[in-house]
Amino acid sequence: MALASVDGLSFAYPGGGPGVRDVSLELEAGEIVALLGPSGSGKSTLLRALAGLVPHFHGGRFSGRVEVAGLDTRSHGPAELAGVVASVFQDPEDQVVMTRVENEVAFGLENLGVAPNQIWPRTHAALAEVGAAHLAERRTVELSGGELQRVCLASALALEPQLLLLDEPTSQLDATGAEAFLSAVEQARCAVVLSEQRVDRALAIADRVIMMEEGRIVLDAPIAEARAWLAHWRPRYAGGLTSHDPAPVTPTRAPLVVLDEVHFSYGSGPEVLGGQTLTVHRGEIVALEGRNGSGKTTLAKVAAGLLEVASGTITRNGRSTYLSQDPGRYLVRETAIEEVALGVGGDEVRAAAALERFGLSFATCRHPRDLSSGERERLGIAAVAVPEPDLLVLDEPTRGIDPDRKAALAEWLVEQAEAGRGVLVATHDPLLPAHRRVRLDAEVGVPIAV
Amino acid sequence: MSPGPATALLAAVATVAFLIDRIWALAVLTLILLVLCLRAPVERRWLYIGGALFSALTVIVISPLTWSSGGGTLIWEGPTLPVIGPVDLSTDEIRIAVVSGLRLAVVGLAFSAYTLLVDHDRLVSAAGFARRSALAVALATRLVPSLERDAAGLSESVRGRGVELHGARGYATLLSPLVAGSLERATGLAEAMEARGFGRSGATRAPRPAWTWIDRTALVGAVVLVGVAVAWL
Repeated sequence: MALASVDGLSFAYPGGGPGVRDVSLELEAGEIVALLGPSGSGKSTLLRALAGLVPHFHGGRFSGRVEVAGLDTRSHGPAELAGVVASVFQDPEDQVVMTRVENEVAFGLENLGVAPNQIWPRTHAALAEVGAAHLAERRTVELSGGELQRVCLASALALEPQLLLLDEPTSQLDATGAEAFLSAVEQARCAVVLSEQRVDRALAIADRVIMMEEGRIVLDAPIAEARAWLAHWRPRYAGGLTSHDPAPVTPTRAPLVVLDEVHFSYGSGPEVLGGQTLTVHRGEIVALEGRNGSGKTTLAKVAAGLLEVASGTITRNGRSTYLSQDPGRYLVRETAIEEVALGVGGDEVRAAAALERFGLSFATCRHPRDLSSGERERLGIAAVAVPEPDLLVLDEPTRGIDPDRKAALAEWLVEQAEAGRGVLVATHDPLLPAHRRVRLDAEVGVPIAV
Repeated sequence: MSPGPATALLAAVATVAFLIDRIWALAVLTLILLVLCLRAPVERRWLYIGGALFSALTVIVISPLTWSSGGGTLIWEGPTLPVIGPVDLSTDEIRIAVVSGLRLAVVGLAFSAYTLLVDHDRLVSAAGFARRSALAVALATRLVPSLERDAAGLSESVRGRGVELHGARGYATLLSPLVAGSLERATGLAEAMEARGFGRSGATRAPRPAWTWIDRTALVGAVVLVGVAVAWL
């Protein structure tokens, strides 16, 4: 008998279009399923339906039947399903309840009414299982995103669920954090449904692949068969994204920004940039690479003029704009058009043209927070592109985005460079095209290869 | 040490600071609390310690100039300023300023030690409050750093488009998106909590270590400390 079954599930959020349409599938105990698809394809809705959060938490129109371990989700809410099902969501910041790590992991066990003498042993076993035993005494606010997400995974595994649901759990993590997280998932002793945009890694640990588009399942097959299907029909999901670095640019005019021997520290903390030198020319894409904490974001902000350095010289020619990590979270106006017009002194004609360019015309008068995560990210990019800056500075723009959108972003960056703009991208993604790659890997941000 | 006795001891020390006015005793309390706060992680402690000591120092330096005690030996007589009146400095004013500054340092450092070193989760759950109220306190404590990060991110997002924020009115425009963002976080958190069984009947509590002789001594010490200070008055 299947561990979980979904039969003819259709669901629409209140006031929204359909989230999933006529979805049917069965999940077997112990299998790892990679759930793929573009943003807005219904992956999260399907996971929430398996956890009982749809419809109990979100409301909306629900039809069909979902059963997990013999429990019908229409009559058993998420709190009742907890323990049988456990979930880890995208952003660890939005899941953590307690101030100390071991209390956080114990929280779910306390809710389930686990015998008090079993709570600490299960807590520490779960932390050890995800390689986070050393974090038990730490405060949750002191942890990095990667560490915090592993704590969230430990919180889920401590419940000893039969079904573990992971909704793009690495979208907020850097490459190292994501790798550590997915390695821990591989060791889980339960059925796993993993929605993930780091497709290669997800396919590497999966037994089976389900792909969704526009709320429907378009592929449900064992891994070998799925790889062949993806390679033929959706090559970008089968490792089909390859880097085509353009040839280096020969500078013909004055550079847009020159950083020479710049030093920077946050407050009285350790030096983050220790004598960094960097130049970006017109028509050039420069990728800033390096491990987490190597100073990529700081250097990008200095280049964009958002941080004042302690010493060193900076020469700028022209205007720059900066796109932060997770831009969808930092939208500040009441409508999409106002959001984009902010950077051009309220010029709604230019803003409307930018919305059209990024396929967001339909959202002109909608509140930015009513848009999907993918739409919000496009809105963030439109907002920094509309002033037509000389230098575009982007911080981790490919984090958490699907392969199709990543390809579209890569094309757009090349277009921007061809239009004569300079582009500086802080990224972990080696597939993003660049004329030049600067690697920061020393203890402070010293380039080791230019 | 368990969080209950630790909090009681810190509260007693802060109370004592208001009861006594001997400079050497206040200085000793300041020093002890400073050493205690230095046990906190380096990256977090300086904001708290710096804030407490800077406030205390400000009181010591500025307050003697803003009023006249009328007692002690006059050390310096300055001009008469509008609103403030005559500016002078006497030994009495300096002594009172040092006492006030040290009191502020003790209270600030006691709060810093509470924030940096006490396990708030265990404190609120041990206090026997309703579980939901205790959780609300823990969540409020935890969400402050998220709000700080969101506020910084919003400001950066606007400045990153070449728009400068001027004065309180400029930053006030970020208040609405900050609130909207925190509501969004709260919804996400509520969903995650429900998925982890929050609200289900029959919840249990993880066993906490029994009080040791150190905890009992700390609690008795807190009472004795306040008692001695009262007797000393």
